Amino acid sequence: MKSHLIGILLSFWVAVSPALYFHSGEREEKCIIEDIPSDTLITGSYKVQQWDIHEHRFLESAPGLGMFVTITTPTKELLLSKLYGPQGTFSFTSHLPGEHNICLQSNSTKLISFGGSKLRIHLDIRVGEHFLDEAIAQAKDKVNEVNFRLGHLIEQIHHISKEQNYHRVCLFPNRNMKE
Amino acid sequence: MAAAWRALGWRLLLLLLGPGGLARRAAPGPPPPQDAEFTFLLPAGRRECFYQGAPGNGSMEAEYQVIGGAGLDIDFSLESPSGVLLINEYRKSDGVHTIEPTEAGDYKLCFDNSFSTISEKLVFFELIFDSPQEDEDGDNWAEVVEPEEMLDMKIEDIKESIETMKNRLERSIQMQTLLRAFEARDRNLQESNMSRVNFWSAVNLGVLVVVAFLQVYMLKSLFEDKRHVRT
Repeated sequence: MKSHLIGILLSFWVAVSPALYFHSGEREEKCIIEDIPSDTLITGSYKVQQWDIHEHRFLESAPGLGMFVTITTPTKELLLSKLYGPQGTFSFTSHLPGEHNICLQSNSTKLISFGGSKLRIHLDIRVGEHFLDEAIAQAKDKVNEVNFRLGHLIEQIHHISKEQNYHRVCLFPNRNMKE
Repeated sequence: MAAAWRALGWRLLLLLLGPGGLARRAAPGPPPPQDAEFTFLLPAGRRECFYQGAPGNGSMEAEYQVIGGAGLDIDFSLESPSGVLLINEYRKSDGVHTIEPTEAGDYKLCFDNSFSTISEKLVFFELIFDSPQEDEDGDNWAEVVEPEEMLDMKIEDIKESIETMKNRLERSIQMQTLLRAFEARDRNLQESNMSRVNFWSAVNLGVLVVVAFLQVYMLKSLFEDKRHVRT
């Protein structure tokens, strides 16, 4: 029951909370670089809208349009390559620390892309696990609510110390050799 | 204005339904936008724009930094939802801008690399939102909870301090991200310098060896006796 609630609330979150969006050509690939430590969970969610040439506005959804999501590791290996629908969520856990590439490309089969056709891609990428506050607020039990918040805080502290360790090792890799 | 009316409506509803009945947080308006940070590659001669929706009467902070590419600079511009150009910077390598109060709507951030024909730039940017509604939560709870429920009041204190800690931790994450961008920029610069020095040193070494051979050959040829034929 609770998972259903969280699932419903998550889908609301994608629609309601204003996310960053950008424009892209139909056959264009857009990439984002994420520099993260190892064993970190990255959750990304996107939504694609298509430009309607006749109505001169973006359609609410783009049925039939899919997005290829390609994620590569710092050693240029392929971590994830999957085709999702016009709206989707993907997540992966990094095994190596370093720069990961998250690339999005639509599966549009148009050979020539017109000047007027473009896509609006809403993208939100979250690093590290986060509890959703809306689900916690629904809990009528206050003690559980405090419990959830404390858990969230502890997880945030762990994430910060993990990033600090990663950057200390990454920036001074020869430190052990000198000492 | 509409948000204030909605908040009042929620409070009345809570009071009517009785104390402790629905211990739900009053939600005046849509949730604040998530803080976003992105690192992306901007090819030479291109312009990339990002749009972000912002709530009204909040505060938005935009930070950007060029962490890779020759020259380490880029044009940055920020447009409000009503189309007013708020910020226009030319060939800067980093910048921090705060917009307060924000208009409700989509802000447009643009990074322009058109002035460069060959070098692509690695750009990092971060958007931080501070919603003014977060301070009201403490007051809402204090009004709704009945004075007899002392245990609930103590839990509210704990919750308030947890909220403060959470905000501070989020701020440290943002500071860390910014510092990381600085370090990444320095590291990229060092690595490109090293490869350049290596290349030209190798070229110098090659030229040195070739000239050495040429000199030895010339000296040897000076002492060669081609004209006299031994009989």
